[in-house]
Amino acid sequence: MKRRDFLKNSGLASTALFVPSFVQAYETTDVTPRDKKIVILQLSGGNDGLNTLVPYTNDIYYKNRNTIARNKHEVLAINDTHGFHESLADFKSLYDAGYVSVINNVGYPNPSRSHFRATDIWHTASGSGEYLKTGWVGRYLAEVSKKPLGAIEVDDTLSLLMKGKTINGIATKDASLFYKTTKDAYFGKMLDKYTASHLSEHNLGYLYKTVVDAKSSVAQIYEKTKVYSSSQEYPNNAFGKQLKTISEFINSGLETQVYYASLGGFDTHANQLNSQKRLLDVYSKGIATFVKDLKETGAFKDTIIVTFSEFGRRLKQNAAKGTDHGAANMVFLLGENLKHPGMYNKPDNLLNLDSNGDLIYEVDFRNIYASLIKEWLETEPSSILNGKFKTLDLV
Amino acid sequence: MSQTTKKSILKDTHIRHLYQRAGFGISPKTVEKLSGLKKKEVVKKLFKSSKSITHLYLPTPDIDAFMQTDTPKKNPKKFRQLIKVSRSKLKDYNLVWVDKMATSNEELRERMTLFWANHFVVRTNNIVFSQHYNATLRKYALGNFRDFVIAIAKEPAMLSYLNNQQNRKGKPNENFARELMELFTLGIGAYTEKDIKESARAFTGWGHTFKGEFVLRKKQHDFGEKEFFGVKGNFNGEDIIDLILKRPECAQFIAKKIYLHFVNDIPNEGRIEELAIVFRENYNIEEVMRHLFMANWFYEKDVIGQKIKSPIDLLVQLKRTIPFSFKKPNEFLYIQRLLGQVLLEPPNVAGWSEGRNWIDSNTMMVRLKLPSVLFMNGTIAFDVKGEFEDSFEEFNKKKSNFNRRLTVTKNWEVFHENYGHLNYEELYHNLISTTTNKGTQEFLQSLKKTNKQEFCVQLMSLPEYQLC
Repeated sequence: MKRRDFLKNSGLASTALFVPSFVQAYETTDVTPRDKKIVILQLSGGNDGLNTLVPYTNDIYYKNRNTIARNKHEVLAINDTHGFHESLADFKSLYDAGYVSVINNVGYPNPSRSHFRATDIWHTASGSGEYLKTGWVGRYLAEVSKKPLGAIEVDDTLSLLMKGKTINGIATKDASLFYKTTKDAYFGKMLDKYTASHLSEHNLGYLYKTVVDAKSSVAQIYEKTKVYSSSQEYPNNAFGKQLKTISEFINSGLETQVYYASLGGFDTHANQLNSQKRLLDVYSKGIATFVKDLKETGAFKDTIIVTFSEFGRRLKQNAAKGTDHGAANMVFLLGENLKHPGMYNKPDNLLNLDSNGDLIYEVDFRNIYASLIKEWLETEPSSILNGKFKTLDLV
Repeated sequence: MSQTTKKSILKDTHIRHLYQRAGFGISPKTVEKLSGLKKKEVVKKLFKSSKSITHLYLPTPDIDAFMQTDTPKKNPKKFRQLIKVSRSKLKDYNLVWVDKMATSNEELRERMTLFWANHFVVRTNNIVFSQHYNATLRKYALGNFRDFVIAIAKEPAMLSYLNNQQNRKGKPNENFARELMELFTLGIGAYTEKDIKESARAFTGWGHTFKGEFVLRKKQHDFGEKEFFGVKGNFNGEDIIDLILKRPECAQFIAKKIYLHFVNDIPNEGRIEELAIVFRENYNIEEVMRHLFMANWFYEKDVIGQKIKSPIDLLVQLKRTIPFSFKKPNEFLYIQRLLGQVLLEPPNVAGWSEGRNWIDSNTMMVRLKLPSVLFMNGTIAFDVKGEFEDSFEEFNKKKSNFNRRLTVTKNWEVFHENYGHLNYEELYHNLISTTTNKGTQEFLQSLKKTNKQEFCVQLMSLPEYQLC
């Protein structure tokens, strides 16, 4: 083989992807395609919930946030006690249309205030003191989808959320780039010589199987999605691009059921006002375009969008005009089929805080997962969540 | 040569296997030097070269001065600035650590240090604490496990990571006590919640000063009677550690961890028990490791070439074969991030999950692409995620770039010096340790072998190279 072939993605690149027979055999282990989709969005860094849904008549809020409290005349009131941050105008329209459920005070016992740990907890659906090696979506893949294509993270590295014991989701934010990578001529020829019997070898088989999985899954994503392009004008930022990608994946009929993306920058320890204002604007406009897109193609009725953050922020602001890591926070559900559009439960009255001065959880996040798995994905949640969690009649 | 002497000679493949697991691989030139020696002699040499302890030190004069004479309260602005300095120094520390693993002759000590760093897991933003911690890992890496656990329990990095600074009489914080038993010594299920509560009391008042010195804050320490594992006494932290080490589960737990890391990711109860018995005798780490490397089963077919290299193993081995460095240090961290293991940034107190947990579609493609990216100016199409602490701009600026090229300096001379005299088949056996299957053999035969550098990179781009 010439060096040129090895380095460049040439040769095989222009022809159809070579698929060895054992790969095809492997790919046919199909399950019935499922229509229902879940899009999981993480506001990464810990979004300040109290400035997102503002208790604009609560004195405790204003006392604790003398320089960063949101002005009661600017908030977008939804009732006589609470209103959304002024950046959330588009989001509020969705709320007014009955497409949003706000679940307040979501968390778990002994909350972690470390980004890493708290994110792991949300991703693995573990308790505070448990270290799980698989994510709940990964376990859903292993149990239900049975193939990597069942879940896509719109990014280039795979989060714990998407990892299962024997099967992982795929991470890609640009299917054509990933496709080109897997079509490297060297890999093609390497797989070409590999035979099915070796897939059973202990770790080596697993490695080959992973390459084969990557190659075939990405080829499927690429082939299926290259013909479809969203007609909506998404905001020109990374989050807008991620949502557009998800919309194109959904609308081109990909069998994938779970999508995950994150919007970062919410770790607002200092000078929070401007950064959160802009972040919520990015979120609100992106999500409004996304919903419009899905509505026009008819996919919205089969989609639930979940937005969470690994933790909320402390009630009392700090000296740097920011807020520190807190505990309980809200979760947004978006969809057409919500059982409780509006406020699912009442926001905290800020009278009872924990010893750190943080909100105390009222709804365990695993009850939300249980509801989504049972009510939306129509699957028994207990083995996926490693325990019985009651459902909340959400969708 | 009599039959028995011949038998006790360690085969070349076995020398390579030993050095893969006990170190980070071995060059053919060194194999030639050890070739023909008995197993006992090879193992003896391995331990001998790790008798010495060379610490990994990075000067941090500004931070040292501040920690000695200043406080965050007196000088908050300077403090905030030094936090940034510390973060960036930690990145440098990552790089010098990888360098050390790739060049040190204390191979076993390096390997053990990395192993313990993923056992007694901490994460800190303080470069001084991090260096102190690293020195402790090195010091006890092959030493006495009891002394090791006590030293770790007094490390500022550990005390702050597991919140023991907040562990006070009457208001215990159980974090350290719990992880001490669950992750460091006994394993889940070998103790009760009451044992955790009582032992947490014994560690009350264990803290560190701003300078990074261990202190027992007597006012915060609970001197009262505790009941731990059914025994009553006015135990302190050391007593608790001694009581833990009396439990048979402790040696079993550590033996299992050693087995899974050094031998095979499928546990073998008989072999683990064998190690546990050796370990429990004196809790001497060197003794149990020597027993392991001398065991016949360590050289069996079901062990050799079956372990998935961690990203750091992979990078260090590549570096040992063809020394390389990045023009921009951040590019090396970017590679570590894509592969799923950034040194000094473990995901949580349980550490990185090894074996198949390293592998997903994305990390696998990066692994296969890596040799051509490092050594042949290949391109890489993946981006890393922003970090939690990033601002909006930092988090979202990273653009997709299919033609991303990294500026890598590689030293092929070292490769030629060590591997140049080998023929293609020998080259193969020196780089790939797993048994070859027919398909891969055919594929390798189909490659035109005109250039050893190129063939080397091709071998490194195989899934087989991911195993050791």
